[in-house]
Amino acid sequence: MERGIDNKTILDRFALDFVKIVEKHCKYIIVSGFVAIAHGRSRGTEDIDMIIERLSRDKFAKLHNDLLKNGFECMQSEEFDVVYEYLINKTSVRYTYKDEFLPEMKIKFAKDEIDDFQLKTRKKLPFTGLDVYFSSIEMNIAFKEEYLRSDKDLEDARHLRIVYKDKINENEINEIKKMIKRVRKK
Amino acid sequence: MRKIKYSIREEHKDQIERWANYVRDNPQEWKAKLKPFLDAQIIMARRFYNKLAETPEGREKIKLLKNNVKLG
Repeated sequence: MERGIDNKTILDRFALDFVKIVEKHCKYIIVSGFVAIAHGRSRGTEDIDMIIERLSRDKFAKLHNDLLKNGFECMQSEEFDVVYEYLINKTSVRYTYKDEFLPEMKIKFAKDEIDDFQLKTRKKLPFTGLDVYFSSIEMNIAFKEEYLRSDKDLEDARHLRIVYKDKINENEINEIKKMIKRVRKK
Repeated sequence: MRKIKYSIREEHKDQIERWANYVRDNPQEWKAKLKPFLDAQIIMARRFYNKLAETPEGREKIKLLKNNVKLG
């Protein structure tokens, strides 16, 4: 069976619709749970996590207004300067389709060298059938095993390890784990 | 009791591994099997939130619920 448009889930379509707007304005990556779910992990989620490059107030205003114009709304506020305050204070903000409570796109600005590295090494992952950028599989596994570490995260990592068996770069995972220890756990 | 808990955990882990192997070995087929499950979760949650939104202070409650949930 071919994976065509009919096999796109509600989350897939939401991600594609959102990315179509975001990619006109900045570099982005999708990270965390949806990476595993887009690879077939069988668990629910209401949201997708996205990291975008740090934007000036003016550039973010253009992105925010474009999202509103194209049928999205921000749960925190309609006013871009309120939303921008959240982002520069390292707090994520959430967008949904207008008048829908979910799914949500939870976005935040890149906050440190790890996020910058994730953006720099972003990848499209053909296995997902989705034309969007993700943080690398190695990055996701390292984060889930070294930093997040809930049962759900460890199961996500296990799933990705099996799906990408023999294709995973263990040295890269170990290097990323060292970076996480140095930058996030100091 | 501890033994039963352990067994459930192990079964859960086995199930995750069986499914991940299926996904890896059937790249053209897994999505059609998973889609109804993933979509149903969103559809049911939307139904719940829409009903809650129609109740007094429903929208405020939704905001509280969403802020209280560890997302991801």
